[in-house]
Parts: sequence; C-alpha cells; structure tokens
Amino acid sequence: MLISVRVNGHVYQRDVPEDRTLLRFLREDLGLIGTKEGCGAGECGSCTVFLDGRTVNGCMVLAVEADGASVETIEGEAKDGVLSPIQAALDRNHAVQCGYCTGGMVLSVRELLQNNPRPTVEQIKEGIEGNFCRCTGYQQIIEAVLEVSGQLTPGAKGELKHV
Amino acid sequence: MSTSFKYLAPTTRAELLGVLADHGETAKLLAGGTDLLVNIRAGIARPAQVVNVKKVPGFSELALGEAGLTIRPAVTINDLLRSPLVRERFPLLASCAHDLASYQLRNRATVVGNVVNASPCSDMAPALLCLGARAVISSRRGQRVVPFLEFFQGVKKTVLRPEEILEEIVVPAASAGARGAYRKLKRIQGHDLGIVGVAVHKHAGALRLGISSCAPTPLLVEGLKESDPPEAAVAAARAAIRPISDLRCSKEYRAHMVEVFVRRLLQEVR
Repeated sequence: MLISVRVNGHVYQRDVPEDRTLLRFLREDLGLIGTKEGCGAGECGSCTVFLDGRTVNGCMVLAVEADGASVETIEGEAKDGVLSPIQAALDRNHAVQCGYCTGGMVLSVRELLQNNPRPTVEQIKEGIEGNFCRCTGYQQIIEAVLEVSGQLTPGAKGELKHV
Repeated sequence: MSTSFKYLAPTTRAELLGVLADHGETAKLLAGGTDLLVNIRAGIARPAQVVNVKKVPGFSELALGEAGLTIRPAVTINDLLRSPLVRERFPLLASCAHDLASYQLRNRATVVGNVVNASPCSDMAPALLCLGARAVISSRRGQRVVPFLEFFQGVKKTVLRPEEILEEIVVPAASAGARGAYRKLKRIQGHDLGIVGVAVHKHAGALRLGISSCAPTPLLVEGLKESDPPEAAVAAARAAIRPISDLRCSKEYRAHMVEVFVRRLLQEVR
C-alpha cells in the first residue's frame, strides 16, 4: 500500500507491505535507525516515537496506520547538531550507558514534561515506566529529569542538590 | 511479523459492518493493536483481514449523555484518564485505567479492545461490571444490548459473533458519582499483567466488588451493603473466586491477596 507519512518534518511516500510495523518502516524503509527494536511486543519502549503528538510503541503500530500522520523520532530531537535540553541533561547526569533505551527514553521524558513541567519523582517513574533501561538503574535518568525540570542544581562540590 | 494479511480501513459505519458481514470469520478488528499485533507476531492470530476501526466517524467519542457515559471503539485508556468528567464522576474507571499497561500503551490501547479480548486479567472489566455497564453490539442486521455481566463467556470468549462489533460501552448515568478504586497485584511496580485485581465500588448504600485474574472471566460480587463488616465482603469474594495456580503465582496466594485488597480498599474508598 502506498503511504505518505511526515517524519521529523519531511514527507515520505513509500509503498509498504500491509503487515509492516511503523518501527520497521522507520528503520528499514527510511533508514532512521535511532528507533530501536527491543522486545517487539510493546513492553520495553525502545521503539518509542511520537505519532500525531503522542508517544506510542513503534512496534505496536502498522506503517499503513500512520498514512497521513505525523511522526517524530529521536533523529528530530537535536537541532543543528545541538542536543536538546533533555538530551543534554541525560548526558550531564550520566544517564546514558549502552544507549539502546535512550532514544525512546528521551521522547517519553519529552511527553511527560509537555504534560507536567515539574513532575515529582513518582510522576517521573510513571512517565518512564514503559521504557526499560537495563544499565543505569534509572536513578541517573530520574535525576536528569529533575534537573531539566529545574528541580535539581549542582552544589558547591559538584554534587546535585534538590532545589 | 510472519503472517500477511489484507489491511482494510473503512471510513463509514456501514462500510465497516459490511466488511464484518463479508469477512467476519477471518477478519480481526484493529483499534489500539496492543494485543492484536502481539498475537499476530506470535502466530496466535492469523487474520486474513485486519480492519482498522479508527477511521469511522464518531468512533473516538467519549461523552456523557442522558443514557450515561458512552465509550466508543477508538477511545483510548489515556483518553479516559485525560477526561476530567471521567476522573470526577467515574473514579473507578479512572483507577482501573491508571493501572493498565504503560503510558505509551495507554496512548494506543482502547477500552473496547481491553474488554473484547476477554482476558481474565482485563483491567477495565472490574470497573465496567461494578458500574453496571452495557455493551451495545452492532452488525449489519441490527443492534443488541448485553449487560457486561453476560458479556464474558470464558477465557478470551465473549458473546460477540464474528459479524459483530462492540460499538459502544454505556456506563449508566445512575452510577455517576459512585466511589471506587482498583488495586492490582503485579510482579513489579511498573507495568505488568495483573496477578490479581480487585475493584471496590460504593454507591447509594450498595457495595460491589469487581475481581480480575481469579476465574475464567472477570467477576462481579453483588448483594453487599456499604454497612456490611469487612468479613462479609471478604467471605463473598472468597466464595466467588476460582483462582488457578500458574507461572505467576499459586491459587492460595491469589485468594490471600484478594482478601488483603478487599480489606485495604474498604478502608480507602470512603
């Protein structure tokens, strides 16, 4: 089926098999490999992308369903080579280790902060519950979100302090 | 994805019902896809046609009218949670929705999809049973209304015939303002399938319990009063459940946790 999808502002037209997922479409048809496949079953969140303004698991959407829709992937997050504030906060807070979950994590954090600019720790945990990280233990990610939402600042000795 | 299917996206209700009349035996309806696409990937579902219901006008409607709250097939779990009307007037629906899956899945998963799958661990079913909700079922031949108490027929089985769609869930206006909350036992704090789920509903002196993952279908326990002692509610719950032991826990643990949750919720829901 011929579909037309806006991805990170560019409109792509492709003829895709009807059983292709949005995840595979992004990776294999468009070469946007920042979106990762982890479980392929909607559990891990490494394929998180924005579909018409809301985060979804790319493995749980058919590419044909995205016909006419607007998709944003991690490739659209940094602008002109400059990390977004969320990406920079994750970097500063050592919240990236292997990096496999990071793309999806960044987009989930973006959606969380759009809805709730100063989330509590509990709200952060809930916002990223659909994004598994097997390296960091989440603590650094939570601190990065607290920092980027203005709730943590570096102390005199470089340690982080709650505002 | 190993299987191939034909993708159909009807843009009118008549077209959708026509597709179901012609292909109901071999087709699967696609709303959120969060169960269907998993099942297709695993080879459990092998539909010849996948029919997207989200393009039908009006299917995203969530509204409170004279009959009550109507939830149509494309209404997502997060649509419920974002609705101040649902949170304030139907807190039990919001409580169940809040415990369902992860944030991204709730952006996609639908209320109707959660019940038509008829999983014993359906998170929305306990609320719908307690609230006395009805299923409005449509086919090209007409419409019928089935209370949710009769909707579930067994594990993954409902009263839906191949040519039918659950077009609307109606939560009666009379249950607006009912107090209630849901507790779900999971292996982890994050998103997981329920090991046991208990809903407590208090309204106009009556006490009801909705229980998931403790029988082939989600259960409703009726006939209790708000003024009954907790022991009465616990005894009624124990009499209703038929838990099994499986890889997630033993039947004894399930029975125990139903009791724990009933007692806690009776305290919490004032």
